[in-house]
Amino acid sequence: MYFVTFVLKNLTRRPVRTALTVIGLAVSVGSMIALLGISENVEHSITDSLARRGVDLVVTSAGKTDQLASEIDEKLIDQVRQIPGVKEVSPAMVELIEITRDSGTSINVLVQGWPADNFVYEDIKILSGRRLLAGDHGKAMLGLTLSESMGKGVGDKVTIQGEPFEVVGVYQSFVVFENGSAALPLDEVQRMMARPGKVTGFSMRVEKSHNDPNSSVEAIRQQVNALTDSTGKPAKLSAQTTQSYVDSVSQLKVVRAMAWMVSVIGMLIGVISMLNTMVMSVLERTQEIGILRAIGWPRRRVVKMILGESVILALSAAVLGTIGAFAATYVLALFPKVNGFIEGGVPLKVAMEGTAFAVLIGLFGGSYPAFRAARLLPTEAIRHV
Amino acid sequence: MSENPKDFLLYADQLHKQYPDGQVRALGGVSLGIKEAEYTAITGPSGCGKSTLLNVIGALDRPDKGEVFFRGAPLGNQRDLDRFRARQIGFVFQSFFLLPTLTSLENVQIPMFEGALGSRERTRKAEELLGLVGMSHRAGHRPGQLSVGERQRIALARSLANDPVLLLADEPTGNLDSHNATLVLDLLTNLRRDRRLSLLIVTHSPDVAARADRVIRMRDGQIVAN
Ligand SMILES: Nc1ncnc2c1ncn2[C@@H]1O[C@H](COP(=O)(O)OP(=O)(O)OP(=O)(O)O)[C@@H](O)[C@H]1O
Ligand SMILES: [Mg+2]
Repeated sequence: MYFVTFVLKNLTRRPVRTALTVIGLAVSVGSMIALLGISENVEHSITDSLARRGVDLVVTSAGKTDQLASEIDEKLIDQVRQIPGVKEVSPAMVELIEITRDSGTSINVLVQGWPADNFVYEDIKILSGRRLLAGDHGKAMLGLTLSESMGKGVGDKVTIQGEPFEVVGVYQSFVVFENGSAALPLDEVQRMMARPGKVTGFSMRVEKSHNDPNSSVEAIRQQVNALTDSTGKPAKLSAQTTQSYVDSVSQLKVVRAMAWMVSVIGMLIGVISMLNTMVMSVLERTQEIGILRAIGWPRRRVVKMILGESVILALSAAVLGTIGAFAATYVLALFPKVNGFIEGGVPLKVAMEGTAFAVLIGLFGGSYPAFRAARLLPTEAIRHV
Repeated sequence: MSENPKDFLLYADQLHKQYPDGQVRALGGVSLGIKEAEYTAITGPSGCGKSTLLNVIGALDRPDKGEVFFRGAPLGNQRDLDRFRARQIGFVFQSFFLLPTLTSLENVQIPMFEGALGSRERTRKAEELLGLVGMSHRAGHRPGQLSVGERQRIALARSLANDPVLLLADEPTGNLDSHNATLVLDLLTNLRRDRRLSLLIVTHSPDVAARADRVIRMRDGQIVAN
């Protein structure tokens, strides 16, 4: 018999308690995995989309952590275009704007103001109707999920911040959250937001040398950051590589921090429930553990047995929790409220973090009971029959 | 010290023990030497300190005063005590103390985790020991499915798991009918003959005492006859 077989047998002795403990722990480990997974997925989908569009640099105004609060003068964009090595520049004004449903309720939707020559049009798929063209007024495109949730298609009217717009196209983007957004001509968004001549940011494609693409990007990044406006004052642009841009987006930072906070709370709850289960289990087995000591087990082996039990409980919870988290993210992705923002699935890295968390729960939650068990006196155990 | 601890397999020297809450002296200066392959029986009225003596000799408990010598050397610290108990001592109790969820074969392997054997060797050795006590046909049964006599034979097999040199038994036949008691007693004496195992048995049974090389009588924590 293997030692671990013996440990497993101890756990099967009280199947209901074991199952309940595993389920309880799976809930805490699973919610941690789901939350971290979602935040990771959102970041990924943004990074991926930028990379897939061939975006090398994302430019916002310096010192603004909130992307929506960023403001850049359009004139600067022409200056940026003049920098040698810059291939393309794609400005946008991104705003959260109220769209009214037919029922009268309204939702806040991410609206992207895109100029007609934006390179974004290259890789969104027009499912019906057409893309926005130069000179369009009062026209809008809807992302697929937004179009479905509002029940609006080509030819329908939508009310955006009180103004009527005609839907001319429905698009699908591989960037999940863009499917939940609407696209309007840039100048319409600037007018509605009373920010004429401004954009919230722009993305850039640059020429890269074959052998050292990173340094080409870096060289241009520094030139953009050093730009001055017509009066010679610093333009205060902040150009970032796509990865560091995603890392710095404050909303994502908040999501990440929340996910970790919930995880730590979940871990505490997990440790307490593990303590409860294992202390009970040790108390029940007072005599048995004393016998084990009497027939030759040193304290160390008793500790190994109890910790083995708690770690196995925790690992089972990790497996169950990972499966649950997987399912939960897929179900969540179906909800209209989050539709388009969240992808189903959990990255391997997060599943592994969850497993590591579980092992810690097992070790922390098992160590006090193990200590208690190791201190049991064999003489006490064999005295009373 | 009238005798030399070095002359014995195990020597208990002037053991004193008083339980914290008790008024009585459980042991009041007990000295006792055990030789290799010797069969010693301890008798005496209830509460005279027999179990206490056995526990101290088996390193389950420490004396307040006095020392236990094994092959001439004092038992030493906790680590040594654990090791001594695991390697040199086999314990058999009146109420068996088998683990209820394990089969006979598994119960016998419990002490072996501290040894050097791998999983397969442990199983093989356990099978061997079950054969020795005539319980091979009950290898897959749990204690609840066995008669009390059979349980004590499993417990006996378990006590031999790490090839001890000294077997300590506290009323091993106390819960058995005369038929099973004889069976267990036969096994014990055979073991002593075949394995040169020393036996130290606490008993109320005249039959068990009658087969011993010598009988030690205790009263009020002291040896009154040897
Ligand atoms: N843990 C303990 N705490 C307090 N007193 C104890 C403890 N263990 C034993 N005693 C006392 O010590 C004395 C010796 O007990 P011990 O168990 O050694 O007797 P015994 O000879 O084995 O008796 P029996 O034949 O009934 O088993 C008794 O008076 C008993 O009440
Ligand atoms: Mg006793």
